[in-house]
Amino acid sequence: MINFQQVSKTYPGGHRALEKVNFHVKPGELAFLTGHSGAGKSTLLKLISLMERPSAGHVFINGVDLNAVKSRQIPYVRRDIGIIFQNHRLLERHTIFDNVALPLIIEGTHHKQVEKRVHGALDKVGLLDKVKCHPSTLSGGEQQRVGIARAIVNSPPLLLADEPTGNLDPELSMDILRLFEEFNNHGTTVLIATHDLGLISRMKYRSLTLKDGRMSQDPLAEATL
Amino acid sequence: MSLLFKGRKSQNERVKKSLFAAGYFFVLNIFRQGVHSLGEMWRTPMASMMTIAVLGLSLTLPATLYLVVKNVQQVSSGFEEAAEISLFVKESMSEQETQTLVKRLALYPEIDKVSFISKQKALIEFKQVSGFGQALDYLDANPLPDVVIVTPTSRHRQPNAAQALLKKLEAEREVDFGKLDIAWLERLNALLSLLKESVITIALLLLTSVTLIIGNTIRLSIMDKKEEIQVMKLVGATNTFIHAPFLWTGIWYGIVGGLFAFICVALMMWWLGSAVTQVAGVYQTNFNLIGLSLGEFGALVLLATSLGFVGSYLSVNRYIKEIEPDKV
Repeated sequence: MINFQQVSKTYPGGHRALEKVNFHVKPGELAFLTGHSGAGKSTLLKLISLMERPSAGHVFINGVDLNAVKSRQIPYVRRDIGIIFQNHRLLERHTIFDNVALPLIIEGTHHKQVEKRVHGALDKVGLLDKVKCHPSTLSGGEQQRVGIARAIVNSPPLLLADEPTGNLDPELSMDILRLFEEFNNHGTTVLIATHDLGLISRMKYRSLTLKDGRMSQDPLAEATL
Repeated sequence: MSLLFKGRKSQNERVKKSLFAAGYFFVLNIFRQGVHSLGEMWRTPMASMMTIAVLGLSLTLPATLYLVVKNVQQVSSGFEEAAEISLFVKESMSEQETQTLVKRLALYPEIDKVSFISKQKALIEFKQVSGFGQALDYLDANPLPDVVIVTPTSRHRQPNAAQALLKKLEAEREVDFGKLDIAWLERLNALLSLLKESVITIALLLLTSVTLIIGNTIRLSIMDKKEEIQVMKLVGATNTFIHAPFLWTGIWYGIVGGLFAFICVALMMWWLGSAVTQVAGVYQTNFNLIGLSLGEFGALVLLATSLGFVGSYLSVNRYIKEIEPDKV
């Protein structure tokens, strides 16, 4: 599903965020991406979601080389990827329904379908009763779940999460991770970037570790070796 | 169709639709966005009203200047009616020859009307109006010539055409000389032309300012929604999708600003109407101010709408492109 081949990323000014990174995430797999702050986790996710382009190497998603994707095609690539952010990035002026419905409206989905899908997604994250609320009236954990509902509402095959439990207490963090586990059980490939090692240790999933822009630990690669 | 996952269909594509239904939903979506952007304007009434007022007043001035030109043209067209040519017949011509000239002139395509004033009739009139009645009785013979008054057709009342016609008529065998008092009309037309040019220049400047005002308003709106735009781009919105509400806002500003300008102009015409009628009464003329016709009203609103679209298009094209999601 996700395949990095000798990927390097150097930002203007010379900061080298990633250096010759190689890894492969299989379809239907749930994997963690760990590393200290500044290790390159966010850059790696940005490369997958085409917010950045690699300085060298190739990123493949389902066999498609992202280097070959033209600028005008980027929105269509992003529709296949659900992205969850640490700071939720919800539209404050809109209701929870509008926030979750956004990816469907962008796709031009019929309003009856939109309603059905949004209610379905909010039901999965346990927020069906908050459909008419505004984000500012919800707690941090609830806002994060709205962000997750928005990411899964159009059933993307790939889910990326950047520090999804960053601002949550351990109990809420586990709830969120169980949600990702549930989506993964339905076949969605999930890549979660986090520096919460305690959380990772409680779940038996593959963990990729980045250190100073290099892939320092990859159990799959090590097993292959 | 998905770019990365062949065979994966969007929620929209999963529902089978005919071409007609697809077109219907496309148009419906555009109008939905239009109504949505109108709602956005409604939610910020003060800011929207202020912008509309500025646009309306900026459009009122060129519309008023246009009406000034239109009304002055109406007055000057009345003056052009007076562009008559007086042909003085040679003294040696007999009455029969003069009558033949009158009949011949009536056949000219450039001439609308021909009237004949005999030297006797002219003398009687002169006696009545000059105050030299008794003195003229002492003359041995009538010194006045026969005069043929020629009224050109509307196409030939313009100074240049009337001058050409005068030359042509002066070439007639029976005509001694002709007279066309048109210098004042030429001066009036020159002033009118200057007025038109000035109005066009001022109108262009004001219309440019309207475009810039709308462009700047949309730019501020884009900056205000920067984070929303970033999120929309992150979840797969195309630039066209993001542009649409802003373009609609510009169009709405144009439409409502155009209507506002029309109301201002109509109020102004109503206010000035009675005063103008009073002045016209003093000069014993029947002059009424002409307002904007239905077609001109439509043109004003269409122009304002176009400016709204152009202003907003320039802004969205310039600024939305620059807003990219920078942080996951």
